[in-house]
Amino acid sequence: MRAGLKALGARADRLRVPPEELVETGLVLLGRWLWRVGPGIIGVALFLGLWQLGNRAYGSFILPSPLETGRAILGVLSSPEGWGLIAGTVARVGLALGFAALIGVGLGLASGYARLLRGILAPVSTILLGMPATAWVILTMIWFGPSHASIVFTIAMVTTPLLYIGTVDAVLTRDRRLEDMAAAFGAGPWRRFSNVALRQILATLAPVTGITLALGFKVAIMAELVANVAGLGGALATARAHMDIDRGLAYVAMTVAALLSVEYGLIRPFQRRVGQWKRGGLI
Amino acid sequence: MSKLVLVTVTHAFDGRTVLRDVSLVTQPGEMVALVGPSGSGKSTLAAIAAGILRPQSGRVMRLYQRHGMVFQQSRLLPWETARGNIAFPLLMDGMNKAEATARAEEAALAVALLPSDLDKMPDQLSGGMQARVAIARALAVKPDFLIFDEPFAALDPALRRRMQDLVIDLSARYGFGGLFITHDLSEAARVADRIAVLDRKGDGIIGALTPEGTPGARREADIFAFVQREMTGNPLLADLVNVDERALDYDCACDTLGPRRCC
Repeated sequence: MRAGLKALGARADRLRVPPEELVETGLVLLGRWLWRVGPGIIGVALFLGLWQLGNRAYGSFILPSPLETGRAILGVLSSPEGWGLIAGTVARVGLALGFAALIGVGLGLASGYARLLRGILAPVSTILLGMPATAWVILTMIWFGPSHASIVFTIAMVTTPLLYIGTVDAVLTRDRRLEDMAAAFGAGPWRRFSNVALRQILATLAPVTGITLALGFKVAIMAELVANVAGLGGALATARAHMDIDRGLAYVAMTVAALLSVEYGLIRPFQRRVGQWKRGGLI
Repeated sequence: MSKLVLVTVTHAFDGRTVLRDVSLVTQPGEMVALVGPSGSGKSTLAAIAAGILRPQSGRVMRLYQRHGMVFQQSRLLPWETARGNIAFPLLMDGMNKAEATARAEEAALAVALLPSDLDKMPDQLSGGMQARVAIARALAVKPDFLIFDEPFAALDPALRRRMQDLVIDLSARYGFGGLFITHDLSEAARVADRIAVLDRKGDGIIGALTPEGTPGARREADIFAFVQREMTGNPLLADLVNVDERALDYDCACDTLGPRRCC
């Protein structure tokens, strides 16, 4: 406790700035912040501007303006049903990705270390990776009917091979010399795996998790839309049936927002935690 | 008593024998340099001595409490600071973090690393500093035997000499013996009490040289004269002088750092 406070104090001392330099330091920090977020803000403004131009050119029936879409989003979010749609989609994606991680990463780790298993699973993973997501939607609807299970199964089947291949690649491309180093200092197989190999595997796998999440959301919306069961995809199907373009766009925007929330709330911190060292920064 | 005994060690990769009946005994506190041309199996022998590889046949007797190892290209964990790298083997031993950190800082001091260096990541350190961290990591476990596998091969000559002096100084200060793998006879003559010569095809130790005096007490001129004399007149070193990389088959010429680790 005392050591923690001491460290905190030392850190605060390093951050302390003399009053005469305060304004200058503040300006420098503001400049850095603007340099970091400025390009992103310009990009978003450009996108909204083009969207507005599209609205001017084609009218609100074809392409509602950003403002109209914003109002529709507020309308959806003002009801518990709206939040339920988001929660349903996110939960299905989460459940499916949980299964995919369990099977894909688990089998990937085993295959990375066992050449025979890798050889056996190589054609299977290639075939599964090549299967179009729409084919899975149709198949699972035949197998399970239009249900939650069919959606979860579809997402899991599309994302599992991606995680599997990513994990195998991560295992194979790790720096084995570091494990030799650990062995020379007496580390057993489990310690070498957990303290040296896994750290590298997770760092290589981290970018794949972002891609998998994005794919998971896309497939979820498509499967929900085709199965017309529930979630944002189901609501999108209903909006299409009613030709309600405002709501349709609102659901699309909410899907993107949900994806970004999970991405920035979970995936990016995870990627930073496990992969920052690869980009040459302090963790 | 801190000595290493290798008895008729034989090892093969994918059916290709790289070491055959290699026997070597190091005396307590003695630093033995093992020289041999590329592909002779020096690093394989170091890996066997360190317990990284298990020999196909033969015996390895480690008559010491604990060994440390310094590798070629340092092999620092890229996600750990210098301090974390030095403490790594201690944490692997199950030591608590505070104690491991204190011991790491003590080892860092022994190799003249500054406290400010310890917060740096490996890619923020120069080759020489990385070598110091690697030596500190090996010292942190308080070894009574140290294995060096061409640790300074990637450094420039001036830096290499500074690192050699550091090894000589630490060896004298802590009294550890060791095995120093190198293909550079000058380096061997500077740091070692005795120089064992490995056959170019790994067919055992073909002989040994003993430069006069002890490491640290030898004058540069004497080391130079010794190297000149032995390189030109000693048939034991013929393969070290006349190594022909074309004569090595591909497997044998492979990178010792690669996954096959065959040399």
